[in-house]
Amino acid sequence: MTKPQQTAMILTLFGVVLLGLGYMIMSQPIMTYAQDTISEPTGDNSFCLTCHADSDQTKTLADGTELHLGVNQEALTNSVHGSSNEEGPLGCVDCHGADAFPHDNPYPETGRAYTIKLSLACTNCHVEETENLADDVHYTAITDGNLRSASCVDCHGSHDIQPLDEPISRISETCGDCHTTTFEQYRNSVHGVALFEGDENVPTCVSCHGVHGIKHPTTALFRNRSPELCATCHADEDLMKEYDISTNVFNSYLDDFHGTTVSLFEQSDPNVPSDKAVCYDCHGVHDITTADDTKSHVVRENLLATCRECHPDASSDFPDSWVGHFEPTFESHPLLFAVNLFYDILIPAVLGSFILLIVIDIIGRIRRRFNRQGGH
Amino acid sequence: MAENTLETTSAEPIAPQESYYRFNSAERFEHMLLAVVFIGLGLTGLPQRYAGSEWAQSLINLLGGIESIRIVHRILATILMAESIYHGGIITYKLFVLGRKASLMVGFRDLRDLIQWIAFNLGIRQSHPSLPKYNFGEKAEYLALVWGTLVMVVTGFMLWNPIATTSILPGEVVPAALAAHSGEALLAVLSILTWHLYNVLFKRFNRSIFTGRLEHDAMEEEHAEELDNILQGHVIQDPPPEIINNRNRYFIPYAFIVSSLLIIGLMWFITLENTAITTIDPVPIDEVYELTISADVGNADTGLEVWESQDCAECHGAGAQGTPGTLNIGIANTSLTFEEFVDKVRRGPADMGAYSPRKISDEDLAHIYAWLQSLDK
Repeated sequence: MTKPQQTAMILTLFGVVLLGLGYMIMSQPIMTYAQDTISEPTGDNSFCLTCHADSDQTKTLADGTELHLGVNQEALTNSVHGSSNEEGPLGCVDCHGADAFPHDNPYPETGRAYTIKLSLACTNCHVEETENLADDVHYTAITDGNLRSASCVDCHGSHDIQPLDEPISRISETCGDCHTTTFEQYRNSVHGVALFEGDENVPTCVSCHGVHGIKHPTTALFRNRSPELCATCHADEDLMKEYDISTNVFNSYLDDFHGTTVSLFEQSDPNVPSDKAVCYDCHGVHDITTADDTKSHVVRENLLATCRECHPDASSDFPDSWVGHFEPTFESHPLLFAVNLFYDILIPAVLGSFILLIVIDIIGRIRRRFNRQGGH
Repeated sequence: MAENTLETTSAEPIAPQESYYRFNSAERFEHMLLAVVFIGLGLTGLPQRYAGSEWAQSLINLLGGIESIRIVHRILATILMAESIYHGGIITYKLFVLGRKASLMVGFRDLRDLIQWIAFNLGIRQSHPSLPKYNFGEKAEYLALVWGTLVMVVTGFMLWNPIATTSILPGEVVPAALAAHSGEALLAVLSILTWHLYNVLFKRFNRSIFTGRLEHDAMEEEHAEELDNILQGHVIQDPPPEIINNRNRYFIPYAFIVSSLLIIGLMWFITLENTAITTIDPVPIDEVYELTISADVGNADTGLEVWESQDCAECHGAGAQGTPGTLNIGIANTSLTFEEFVDKVRRGPADMGAYSPRKISDEDLAHIYAWLQSLDK
């Protein structure tokens, strides 16, 4: 190997190593939550609890809030982070930080700021829940400066954390702690009533809105996708069998003017607003009832008023132009049935005749050509 | 119509020619316009019938999205209706002023021609029937076009103006109109693709609707009777100018009035209502907390206990007079009604946050309200 060859070799190797290093660096996520800090829980809290155990002590912060310094030991032990934790019980410093003692750090300005700051500690271990956090309405509201928006501990609690879905109705109740009027509507809806009767199939708030990546439900995207959201349950035959609800609701919606338009928007321009009705425009959102309930937006007596929300001049016969979620039959829609039958017969009959005539013409042409050739 | 017929025979028979005059430029232009409008209506309409399938979605996206193609469809429909009004005027002029025969009207002879034509092709009959200027196939197409346009205009009106329609007719008419509009469209497109294209493209490339002239052999096969007339010198001649002028004295005001009315009707058709094109935004639902109890159930003493058990005092003060250094909002002897008070607590005004019935019940709020009202401001 000559000298220049060696130099070239070394340079190439160096280049490959550099590229590899570059790739390793570039392939790291740009923004990471502090998942690297996951370590074994520190467990023993006796040192902190010397002062903080069941203490009545408070510290008044700059904004006047009283920070309760006591920790309910029993609640902590019985919490999901306590003795039942698979990884072992969490220690105070796992959330409050290794630098929490001695208490040299300046006190937070407000109690709220302290709550939010400590909520970030949850992301140390709960990586999966933080994946969609950047799009989450509550999270973005906080980062936009609205400190009243929900942080982790507002829903889950702090020292006394228990599973939020036991019983499953606790999920919706938790949302209802802030979203009070919406919750009241939901609680009296067909879904809400069933939920509180112990039915675990019905949607809670998070079934439709999501959990840790809650998107704003007033966007065009949410609206255009909402029929599919309803369809996840209402087009599921096994699930609907139990309630004797037709799964044809979704397909019959798609076949209709409204549904056709919305599904086309969903496929091509999901972020462009469409003014065509989606499921909840007619059935209601949080106050949805069975279609035969006297309070239902779609029960015969209320249907005209519902149509008029978008079609203000609708005449009293206008609602009948909606065929409904069931296959039209001769009994339910004689005229529609007759027209469909008419074209079901006419189209094949006319086309069949045309094709027959074309075949006859072709036969004639072939015969004549054959006769001319054969005649000579 | 027979008494109006003024087709006269000119003097001399003529020698066979390479091609014969068939369509004037206005007729050729009408066909071009109709072809463009028909194709446009088909391209913007049929994908709506099959909106669930992938080819339809690709086509809709290619043409600019569903809202765009609906607008284009309506513009083309308007052109087609205007064209139909013009065509009606031309036909009336030809029939009643020029005294032409209704050469596209179907009669018994067409049935006879059809049967003879089938028999000839199958070898049952020796001679090809001698066909007139417009043969049975062309007459069928023309009548289908007139019938189809009529169905499309009537049902299209119902779909364009569903509210006006349902104020006169039962609501079921609208989906039935959609079914008819959609079925008739499919029938029309498939008929054109099979019968029309076979006859004018595949059987023989017939350019007469673009050039105005038809070749001798095509005339011989498809319009032998007409060819015979031409060769014998039978040429359609218009009546003398004085007769035309005389008839025009009636026709022009009639045409003016009828076409004005039809154009007004067309304008009415397309501007009557816009509910199928655009709707108002859905009205946002005003969420109101429904209170189940009245203020009477409140007890001032219990109210004080509840007040102290909750964190109300942190901001509102132990005596509800406000706490200096905090938000400091005194609410003693509030001027709010009980309903407004509960609504505020449940919604949560700025800086307070909402309090749900799980945090504090309606009854407890009634107690607090009773206590607040027992205080001095």
